[in-house]
Amino acid sequence: MSSRMTERADAMSVTPGPAGTAEGPRRAVRLDKVGLYGLLGVAALIALFPLLWMLSGSLQSLTELLSNKSLLPADPQWGNYVTAWVQGELGVYLRNSVLYTGSAVIGILLVSSLAGYALARLDFAGKGAFTFVILAVMIIPAPAMFLAQYKLLISLNLTNNPVGYVLILITSGIPMSTLIMRSFFVSQPRALEEAAALDGAGPLRIFWNVILPLARPGLAAVAVIQGLGAWNEYLMALVLFEDNSLMPIQRGLTAFTSAETPQQQILLAATTISIVPVVIFYLMAQRHIVKGIGAGAIK
Amino acid sequence: MTTQHLALPARRPSRAPRGKRALRRNLIGWLFLAPAVALIGIFTITPFVQAILLSFQSWDGVSPDTPWVGLDNYDFVASDPVFWASMRNVLFFGVVGFVVGNGVALGMALAVNSITRGKTFFRTVFYLPGVLSVVVVGLLFSFILAPGSGVLNRLLGLVGLGTLQQNWLGDPAVALPVVAAVFVWFHWGFGFLLFLAGLQDVPKELYEAAELDGANRRSKFRYITWPQLAPVTSIVSLLTLLAALQIFGTVQVLTNGGPGHHTMVPTLAIYNEAFVNWRYGSAAAMSVIFGGALVLLSVIQLAITRRRSRA
Repeated sequence: MSSRMTERADAMSVTPGPAGTAEGPRRAVRLDKVGLYGLLGVAALIALFPLLWMLSGSLQSLTELLSNKSLLPADPQWGNYVTAWVQGELGVYLRNSVLYTGSAVIGILLVSSLAGYALARLDFAGKGAFTFVILAVMIIPAPAMFLAQYKLLISLNLTNNPVGYVLILITSGIPMSTLIMRSFFVSQPRALEEAAALDGAGPLRIFWNVILPLARPGLAAVAVIQGLGAWNEYLMALVLFEDNSLMPIQRGLTAFTSAETPQQQILLAATTISIVPVVIFYLMAQRHIVKGIGAGAIK
Repeated sequence: MTTQHLALPARRPSRAPRGKRALRRNLIGWLFLAPAVALIGIFTITPFVQAILLSFQSWDGVSPDTPWVGLDNYDFVASDPVFWASMRNVLFFGVVGFVVGNGVALGMALAVNSITRGKTFFRTVFYLPGVLSVVVVGLLFSFILAPGSGVLNRLLGLVGLGTLQQNWLGDPAVALPVVAAVFVWFHWGFGFLLFLAGLQDVPKELYEAAELDGANRRSKFRYITWPQLAPVTSIVSLLTLLAALQIFGTVQVLTNGGPGHHTMVPTLAIYNEAFVNWRYGSAAAMSVIFGGALVLLSVIQLAITRRRSRA
């Protein structure tokens, strides 16, 4: 904070300098900066415009929206949100999404921290083979498997079923998360585990009581990145769910669009509601998300 | 470093441990791996094998009978114009995502890295589209790009560029590039984040040394930034390419592959073949062909990366 203040003070002391004596290079530098910020500003506007337009459109009446007269709502129609919430049954979809995402993240954290710990710390036969399988599995793309996963879940009687969906979500998150957790554990000091082992604690006990509480930064990175992925998952939700009462929000949104043919401003309001949780989450957990994406990609 | 060297001779005997202790050690190791092994075995490896088997069978999605049909599915897919159109289209998405997406991502990362104020703001804004779902992106742009009431055409009219107004998603000539542009809008923030992190990891001393040698901005980029970023560039390239090639939800919501098949992509073609046409066998054949191509691509890319990092 303080460094930012001094920067600003520096900038202010420079700017009001006598314009006539501004030297060539300095002016070039300043023009450069203006151009740079101009470019960034345009990019930011392009990134934000669709979302701002959605917000504005979700508060307009249909006639106002279709006439495209103004970019801002003349008379905000807050009722659109109520209509969207009720007509679109968004409460049901959001509850399902929270449930599926939460269970998937907990499952992924448990399974991948166990596996990651074993790869990082324990010594046993077949470790290399398992690592190889994980890397190979990561390469298999979803389009190659979703059909057969659907067929498998039919034979297990797990289609149109939250358990089947969450198991698929967990499985698809394991490989990357395991590698992230492994490299996290590798970077941790061994001292505490060794002390606990000397006290006679078994490996599972050490893992649960000593390792896991210390692994919070690694777990957080995995949780945010997998949480975002699970929340936004669409393909399997599309394939697996038939009952609207079981659908997560992404699938529910498309069900709402196609079945009810709601008016555009209502759909914009529904879409806005659907992204509120994820945008708030992003703004709050941004640091973790950035770190998680980096960790996930480099593994 | 040193601890590892010291540990090596001590570890060697434990490599092939014998007797009860070794058994116990192996058991504990696999106990930790058991949940991961079970889930990956059941929900990834089994379906992977099943997909290959299914591509030689005929299945309508309902009946318990799945008779073997040899190479019939592959014959059918080989002469299916929709599938091959989807492969061509997705290649276009891949190239655009790769060149334009990564170009924008790298350019913006360089720009953000060189400013002092507003870094966090721009980083936040640039990745914001990346946290949206494919459904949200598809819905939003289907409204924005609508021919009559869409805000894009309206804006073009307002600024006097009315001649540029288009039926963005309905005109076969422009639909494909437009969907590709939507993909880039949605996805470039990912590469941007990784490039930015990579730039921040470049040691400052390198630039300081180059400045002492009188290097200008271009040669600093050419001889320091670019080589230092190489590992990030190769991973971003692969991941962007794979994401572009697997594009599905955005296209389904935005155009559903239309007009005609001008924006059809393989994953959507596979989905339609199975869940719309009820021909799961040929859909499986498509997924084997397409999935195989993706796997091949990843393996080649990883091999190149590994060789480069070894050299």
